[in-house]
Amino acid sequence: MTEFAFIEELSDDAHEEKNQRKQEFPLMPEGEAFDMGTDESGKPLIDPRIFDAPEFFRNPYPYYRILRDHYPVFHDKLHNTFWVTRYEDITECYFDDEGFNTIPKGSSSGVLGNTQLELSGVEHRRRRNLYGQHLVGKALNNRIPAIEHLADEIIDGWTNLKEKDSPFVKDENGRRTIELGQVFANEFPIRVVCEVLGFPKESQSQFYYWYNSMMSGLGGSDTHKMGVEARQDLEDYVSEIVEKRREKPTYLYDNDGNPISKDIISKLCETKVDGDFLSSEEITSNIALVVGGGGETTRGAIMNMWALLLRHPDQFSEVLKHEENWDKAFHETLRHSSSIGGQPRHNSFDIEMHGVKIPAGSLMQMVDFSANHDDRIFKDPEKFNIFREDLYSGKLLRSGYAKEGKCSHMAFGVGPHLCPGAWISHQEAVVGSKIMSKRMKNPKIREDLMPKDIDGKKPAPMGIISVRDLWLEFDL
Amino acid sequence: MKVKEAKDPTKIVGKNGVVLRKSNYDSEGSGYRTYEVYQRERVGESTEKIKPSQLISDSFRFDPYPSLEILRENYPCYRDWLSNCYWITRYNDVTSIFSDDANFETRSKNHFLRAEGLGKDMGSELPVLFAQEKSFDEDTSRITSKLIEELLTNRTVDLATDFAAVLPLKILAEQYGVSDEESSQFGHRYWRMQRGTSWDPRLQMDGKNAAQELLDFFAGKIRSGEHKDMENCLSAMVALGAKGKDVVATLLNTDHETMHGALSNLWFNMLTSPDKFEKARSSKRMLKLAYLETLRHSPPVLSAERFALREIERFGRLIPEGARLICSAGAANRDPRIFDNPEEFTVDRRDMCQREPRGQYRADGLASGIAFALGRPSIHPAVPEDRPRSMYAIIRDASVSASQILIESTRGIQLEKDETVYLSCLTVGEMHTCWKLPVSLQAG
Repeated sequence: MTEFAFIEELSDDAHEEKNQRKQEFPLMPEGEAFDMGTDESGKPLIDPRIFDAPEFFRNPYPYYRILRDHYPVFHDKLHNTFWVTRYEDITECYFDDEGFNTIPKGSSSGVLGNTQLELSGVEHRRRRNLYGQHLVGKALNNRIPAIEHLADEIIDGWTNLKEKDSPFVKDENGRRTIELGQVFANEFPIRVVCEVLGFPKESQSQFYYWYNSMMSGLGGSDTHKMGVEARQDLEDYVSEIVEKRREKPTYLYDNDGNPISKDIISKLCETKVDGDFLSSEEITSNIALVVGGGGETTRGAIMNMWALLLRHPDQFSEVLKHEENWDKAFHETLRHSSSIGGQPRHNSFDIEMHGVKIPAGSLMQMVDFSANHDDRIFKDPEKFNIFREDLYSGKLLRSGYAKEGKCSHMAFGVGPHLCPGAWISHQEAVVGSKIMSKRMKNPKIREDLMPKDIDGKKPAPMGIISVRDLWLEFDL
Repeated sequence: MKVKEAKDPTKIVGKNGVVLRKSNYDSEGSGYRTYEVYQRERVGESTEKIKPSQLISDSFRFDPYPSLEILRENYPCYRDWLSNCYWITRYNDVTSIFSDDANFETRSKNHFLRAEGLGKDMGSELPVLFAQEKSFDEDTSRITSKLIEELLTNRTVDLATDFAAVLPLKILAEQYGVSDEESSQFGHRYWRMQRGTSWDPRLQMDGKNAAQELLDFFAGKIRSGEHKDMENCLSAMVALGAKGKDVVATLLNTDHETMHGALSNLWFNMLTSPDKFEKARSSKRMLKLAYLETLRHSPPVLSAERFALREIERFGRLIPEGARLICSAGAANRDPRIFDNPEEFTVDRRDMCQREPRGQYRADGLASGIAFALGRPSIHPAVPEDRPRSMYAIIRDASVSASQILIESTRGIQLEKDETVYLSCLTVGEMHTCWKLPVSLQAG
């Protein structure tokens, strides 16, 4: 992996910086906030440097609670941002896409290119539907056999493995130990994306590299260059494919080899906007967006779901008994520990929220993490309970966020910018997990291999980033 | 549909070695490219040479110049994702923003203290300006002499805290009719209020409390009619109908940082290089030039913030409405495009203008050092005769005469041995100056 050599170098530097910040904000036990002082009325203060601190990344929820309870809109002057943290406020902003716009001010545009993330109203809807329509409803149902087939193929790789040829699969005392990320979750969502996009199989390894580079380039940081370069490579590659598919579209096939439908790239090739065919640059942007949205997020959902379920064995056994509970487990996982922290918005007009004046054009961070843990909506939010009564876990709502007196979680957002990949991501995680649960007998987490919290006993909190490595063992 | 072949397979490489395009492929019909994507190609910016966290790090607090140089030479309009702002670092770019108040707004310090209801800044009313000019011209030498007399009772004096920090506050106290007994408390409150414009919530809280205390203090003064016997800024303001909150708002926006920081940095620069000190003290004119060079070489206020009033294209970027621009004087003043050998502190610099610049930061065809706050150069091409001199000139004269008095009334000023002195900011974004400058001196 020579390509990644210089990332190692940089991370040394970053490590030093992290150590420096550690001293400013000591690591606290999970669920407890570091005391940053109070004002005269006893209201806790928030030092905005906490948002860069490692403590915050592993243990963000107590700080979000302070924000929700005392600063529903927090003006962070160091990062020049307004943090919005209550469920009700965030949903209101998400539905008002005129007052809270998404015009490009972020770093993603350099890497992802020109996508509908940054548009509003009709323009946004039109572009979103270009590929969004291929990821829902009947189109999605048509693709499920392909997803199942892929999951089967990958899982076969390590369940039927006779000889040890991977550092992530070990056999001991009749039990097999695996690292779920390496053997399944890292690869599976990207394979699915490649499949539904219609990406040629031979270039999939190159595709991982592009994917990783583009993801790390999104932050507009020192790795931005890699992202921009990877995007350019992808664009060059895609333009070749597009040239071919404009003349000869390719298809997805079911298990019997009958064509189900055209793949997304072929569909995009024949799509017109305002009477014009999409350029290869636009098609690349759409591909980049589907890949960016469909990789890491679904990976995180699968990893977190398994980690949480296995740490709550009673709930896991319920899921095994009744397959329909997988849906509940999926939604509760996304509420409890989602992979997406929030979305930026910019207010179009001068406004005042909770007594805070926000000048037009300000960056407002809608913190979905915090909304998901808002005890005004979800009772006892830090508890993982797939049977909770206040979380809506039925068929995904395309408009609105509440049904039958229950509220949706915010992991997919709500309103016009609701994640178009929500449905397919749901299917991936549930289909993949169902198959895995049948192949793995008596699975357990190898807690001895998992990172520990600062007390050295409890498992480390999930925090903002999803579980990185998940070591499982099961009967051979 | 027929598609064109790739036209030109040669690579187009951007500024930082980033491959922008490998081919000029475009499809027939749709040549659609949004501005953002076009901009990515044209600017070719990637930012691997600096991490945005460096710009709020501890090392930046002490020595910002290496990081600023990276920005200036590589990313003249740097999008800082972490602090959500744009850094403008070249001299001509920075001054172009300052002179463009149609597109970039300045926000008053009330905004930063989050005290919009505080009152009106009356600092630009003519009677107040005249009173200020008069006070700086007439009171400075008296106050300085008295201060030096007090200092000379000790053998060792800290010029940073006992002289540079105290003098502007004493002059300010004089202008606002604060008696000698009240002045130390006044100075303390004033200083806390100024620090309250920071991003740090503890300082903000403290600053708001201090503003309230000052408000009570001045409201009491006005109520008791004390100002009636005076002829100073306070009385001028009250005559214009100011209330206590307006006085505090004016005080908040009249900051002392340029005078305090420039005096401190001037003495820091002179004392750390004795030959330069020898040259600077040789005449009052040389001292003035040393002062101007200090504002260029080590400006106490490192940057000023401007906010884009509308979406606007500048420096090859699309700057969105409401964007915060950090216009860095620290970087611009060391721009080698403008000043030769810019890292060097040169007392009589030939490529810098030696009087108050009017219009686009230049006079006599030469650029001036950029300084803010009280030392803001007038951007108007001419000033009518019935107006006071610009604050830039007034503060310069006051600082130079104060330093001149210090030189004349003492002898043998030199740094205490074995002392390491350095410039630093107390927290990120605050004044960059010397906080400890112990010297030994004798009455001369």
